[in-house]
Amino acid sequence: MGALTRERDVREAYAAHSGELYGFAVRSLGDAGLAEEAVQETFLRAWRAGDRFDPEIGSLRTWLFAILRNVVIDLGRARAARPRVAESGIEPSVEPFEQALLAWQVEEAMRRIGEDHRRVLLETHFRARPYSEVAAELGVPEGTIKSRVYYGLRALRVALEEMGYED
Amino acid sequence: MRTEDHRDRKLALGAYALGDLPPDERAAVAAHLEGCEECRAELRSLEGVAALLPLADPARIEGPAARPPADLGARIEAQIAAESAREGRQRRRRRFRLGVGGAVAAAAVAAVLAIAILPLGGGGAGESSPAQQVNFASLPNGVSINATLEPHAFGTEIEMYVSGIRSGTLCRVFLRDAKGRTYSAGSFRYRWGADSHAKLSSALDLSQAAEIGVHAGSRTFTAPVGQATALVGGADTAAT
Repeated sequence: MGALTRERDVREAYAAHSGELYGFAVRSLGDAGLAEEAVQETFLRAWRAGDRFDPEIGSLRTWLFAILRNVVIDLGRARAARPRVAESGIEPSVEPFEQALLAWQVEEAMRRIGEDHRRVLLETHFRARPYSEVAAELGVPEGTIKSRVYYGLRALRVALEEMGYED
Repeated sequence: MRTEDHRDRKLALGAYALGDLPPDERAAVAAHLEGCEECRAELRSLEGVAALLPLADPARIEGPAARPPADLGARIEAQIAAESAREGRQRRRRRFRLGVGGAVAAAAVAAVLAIAILPLGGGGAGESSPAQQVNFASLPNGVSINATLEPHAFGTEIEMYVSGIRSGTLCRVFLRDAKGRTYSAGSFRYRWGADSHAKLSSALDLSQAAEIGVHAGSRTFTAPVGQATALVGGADTAAT
């Protein structure tokens, strides 16, 4: 029950999650062709191991991202011409991957929130511009910028939670 | 009034969490937080998000979102259908070995064998191009790569034999059509001493395939498909 064992399950999983998996794969691998391959391999592995997926334990999305993580690491290894230092048991690519995933989730969440909120967060936070300057540019009172920062952060939180983020 | 004060302070919590408030307003919000459990809870929630913001790259936020190619889903489905079909076939073979007797099983096995043998014998019923044997030329000394390509309704089944490369090397196999479009056929890891025949499949029809290739570690080897090629041979001696 709930396992990813039928071809139709894979089709539904693809429809629901391929965009995100691909978006992250492009960011992580820096190459559209490799990203395509990574997504393809992720769904194939998911299907082969489909009876091991248990929705009681975690979401399908989380499971697919865990598979993609391994695929990306394999592709990264294949790309690196030098032998790896994995004999020591250290996994050098793990930490950057988790961080890249979190960074991508924040960027994706920023893309999903409303244009007004995104704009204000970009200008005030990322470009460090004074609220008064942004207010003048947008032709709104400064208090509106402040409330958009508030509602923008709230919307960002909701978008992140939809992607599985927890405190 | 108190409710208006509460509302104003609450709307300032985003700027407060990001450290954007001037000192006097920051102090006023801090004073309000002392006595307002609701705002304290809200602030905790906003602070979690505010702490993540520096991870993001604004250029990536504003850039266009990457979309997967429109046909990627169909290619994945075709590959899964191919594996599914192959698995079914193996299951039927296994059942026979376990000793399920009788005419029905024997007939089933005969049918399976016919399917397995026909393409290699020069093309099965309903399949347009016959199976092909491809030898990779221009390989480094000691390296040998051969592939057998079998046509199917789903695309092409590939059996690949590799030797002479470093054990553990990840090999990613693909087919290309005449227009240079690449169709992944999956990947395998080459291991010394292990069974080195890898079975793969690609959604590209064999009759459309112009080239087969394998990314092995940092190297890529290719060979033309669709023309008469020699049968299995040893390693090509071309230098590097």
